Amino acid sequence: MKQINNPFSLEGKRYLITGAASGIGRSTSIILSEAGADLILVDINHEGLVETQKKCNPSDKLLVLDLANSSIIKKELLAVVMEFGKLDGFVHLAGKSYIAPLKIVNEEKCKDIFSLNTYAAIELAKTFINKKVYNGVNGSIVLISSVYGVVGSAANVGYAMSKSALHGITKSLAIELASKKIRVNCIAPGFVKTNMLDSASGMFDEKYEEKLNNLHPLGLGTPEDIAYSIVYLLSDASKWVTGSIFNIDGGFTAL
Amino acid sequence: MKDFLIDIAELLEEEEIKEEDILEDFEEWDSLTILSIIAFSNEKYGTALSTIEINDSKTVGGLKKLIAGKM
Repeated sequence: MKQINNPFSLEGKRYLITGAASGIGRSTSIILSEAGADLILVDINHEGLVETQKKCNPSDKLLVLDLANSSIIKKELLAVVMEFGKLDGFVHLAGKSYIAPLKIVNEEKCKDIFSLNTYAAIELAKTFINKKVYNGVNGSIVLISSVYGVVGSAANVGYAMSKSALHGITKSLAIELASKKIRVNCIAPGFVKTNMLDSASGMFDEKYEEKLNNLHPLGLGTPEDIAYSIVYLLSDASKWVTGSIFNIDGGFTAL
Repeated sequence: MKDFLIDIAELLEEEEIKEEDILEDFEEWDSLTILSIIAFSNEKYGTALSTIEINDSKTVGGLKKLIAGKM
């Protein structure tokens, strides 16, 4: 019987994943490994990275890096890619939430959130297109924003700024990098059950989770729900997709 | 916590407040103000408060005691 080529396979591909030490980043790393990819796992939390690696390939590289410090990203990445081999793409999952009503929003905190959630994506892309880093064919960049980059929510102005900016970055880079055969897409997740969500929930009353559930016709998501969409966007199954924002949100933005 | 009353007065948009003042009697007291207090207290004093704890603290002085107890 003729073997059918699997367009979702990531066999022999190499990717860099930020935010790999926990939550959606950890699940994505595990699922990408299962799909055959080799990974550079990046996070500021070393212990978390070690835990993630236990469920990925032993040959995957770990890189402890503060992505909010843009001045060190290129140097650190070049060094690890020299050992690991050239990349087919990256996923920028690292991010912080910032729940703060307008009265309390401050510039320093906004810059801090912007550095990690947003500007790091640009610096990563800048490094990725370097000939020493990019393998030159079928490149794919996946950025992770949020439903709050798409729709409004009180007490979220700083976070929304950082996430909605990723949509502009996605479209702009999709055009700029198309000639290099690099696709750039973005996923805007709804609320997913992670530690980040648990710590945010602690600020609210006991009905908060119930309210959140009601915002999602399909209920709250799991990290795997996001990870599978990342597999699609990295793989050749999405070879004609670029500059797109995918709402993976259990129906949140359909309401 | 020497500027506590000044900081909370600013969040509540009041000229002056006293420790015995009841939180929910302030005109600006709403869920966004409670969130502002949570964020303010976290940034300034490194404490993690919940909405329930803040509502249970009842007065400005009670809120001060709540934050001080977590520092």
